Amino acid sequence: MPETLPPPPPEELLRPVAHLRLKAAALLLLTLALIAGSVLYLLYARGAFEPTQRLVLIADDSEGVSVGMDMTFSGFPIGRVRRIELAGDGNVRIAVDVASRDAHWLRESSVFTLVRGLVGGTTIKAYSGVLTDPPLAAGAARPVLRGDATAEIPQLMATARQLLDNLQQLSAPDSALNDTLAQVRQLTQRLNAPGGALGVLMGNEQDARKVLQTLDRTQQLLARMDAVVARADRQVFGAAGQPGLVAELRATVAQASGLLQDTRQSLTRVDAVLAEAQAVGANAREASADLGALRAEVEANLRKLEGLINDINRKWPFARDQELRLP
Amino acid sequence: MFDASLDRLWRGAQRWALGWWRIIDLGAVVLVLLLSPSSYGRGARDRLARQIYTDTLPILPGFTALAALLSLVITHIVVVTALSYGLTRYALEMVIRVLVLELIPLTAALFVAMRTTIPSGAQLARLRQAGVLQAWRARGADPLRVELLPRVLAGAYASVTLAALSCVVALVMAYLGVYGLTTAGLSAYTRMFGQVFTPSITLVFTLKTLLFSLAVALIPMAGGLHPPPPGALLGQDGAAPASLARLFAVLLLIEALSLMGNYY
Repeated sequence: MPETLPPPPPEELLRPVAHLRLKAAALLLLTLALIAGSVLYLLYARGAFEPTQRLVLIADDSEGVSVGMDMTFSGFPIGRVRRIELAGDGNVRIAVDVASRDAHWLRESSVFTLVRGLVGGTTIKAYSGVLTDPPLAAGAARPVLRGDATAEIPQLMATARQLLDNLQQLSAPDSALNDTLAQVRQLTQRLNAPGGALGVLMGNEQDARKVLQTLDRTQQLLARMDAVVARADRQVFGAAGQPGLVAELRATVAQASGLLQDTRQSLTRVDAVLAEAQAVGANAREASADLGALRAEVEANLRKLEGLINDINRKWPFARDQELRLP
Repeated sequence: MFDASLDRLWRGAQRWALGWWRIIDLGAVVLVLLLSPSSYGRGARDRLARQIYTDTLPILPGFTALAALLSLVITHIVVVTALSYGLTRYALEMVIRVLVLELIPLTAALFVAMRTTIPSGAQLARLRQAGVLQAWRARGADPLRVELLPRVLAGAYASVTLAALSCVVALVMAYLGVYGLTTAGLSAYTRMFGQVFTPSITLVFTLKTLLFSLAVALIPMAGGLHPPPPGALLGQDGAAPASLARLFAVLLLIEALSLMGNYY
């Protein structure tokens, strides 16, 4: 196909533009300003002009953590993850740059968590319970607690399945719970019947009837006991015009008191008698001592007399033969 | 029959290889000329200033308005959808990623190609047909320097300027669309912007914008500078449809590469 295009009109190429250089320079400046402004805004947005302090979080797993993600405090971003590295002991060191103007929210007692949500990314959160604690030093290393919502799902599912199985077993037609409920229904029916509670407690009708009889007899017994006690009361405390045991006892006690008084006087007299007897005894003792001496004298005289008789016997010529002779 | 089809296939492959080679060759030549100080003489500067002015300024307000409207509409759609799913936290980030990172640079490049560089390439083709380029060469001037370099530079410049301005406008519109006329969300917005534009994404974005501008500026010029091979179809304005197809293919390729760089 031959080229049959018309030549360009010359005025299209040569049309003059007023203040061309100025306008072109302004346009260039606009472009440069746009690009430079964008670059500066980007640097500002990425925190290049912000004084920061370093915080190292130590985690056992860096899954979901990315460079540039925020660390939040009460939902407000106060720091950015700058570097993630594997430490010598196998832990993960997450270096976070915390803006100096927000660093006062972090205290020595602050707690850091790394949470993976079901939707959205991982978040690093800081919690400061005691804001009066000393502020966290620059370059401090802190352990980070992991809370993984998705990691708990399998465990949760297993537990839920177990729970559902248990529920199924519980609600099955031949389950223990069902039997229990049936028995409870029977029990309720028996309770609702006349004399139900006693029947439930005793197990059968006869025993329940016996309990009722026992109760009746107990009631009768109590009535009789009442009468006995009333009689005893009357006897002990007396009735109208009839002194009771207590009044008689009181009179007896008065009589006993008189008797005791008499006894005391008698005893006093006995004391006097005893004193005289004592004096008689003393006299008798003296007399006994004289009797001893007398006795000794009598004994000596008797001994002398015996000796004298013996002498006479020896000396007596008519000594008799005193020996008896049998034929 | 078989020989004829094989011959046609061979010629087609030759045309394809020639077309791409001319683009690469022209790109290298233009880069050399760009880096040569002698390309910026007084006459060349005037010509360059005029080309930049006529290529960029007429389309700048229209495209900026279009970008603002597009940003507002897309922001509204995304925010309303995210609200219904309870994902408003991620709505703004998605708006910035979709609009500023992907849509706006591509739209700017296509807009510049349609309004500036493709007509400029057609103009170059007409000049070539009218023998103006040969006339320059006969007078001892390099037609590449006189006619081509200002057009390429102006096309690339227009593409970069439109992308930059419309990105800024899209950022402002996204903020206004989400927060309204208040400065309350400025710090949160800035922080989120900083999180989206990580160094690697910023590098990919910059490279993508530059490559878009180069492709948009170079490929239509390469089509206009050289006569189309015999048998090729010509469009109404003289630009070869083959060069347009190449332009779109290259833009798509750059976009795909940038997506891979960002998200893989």
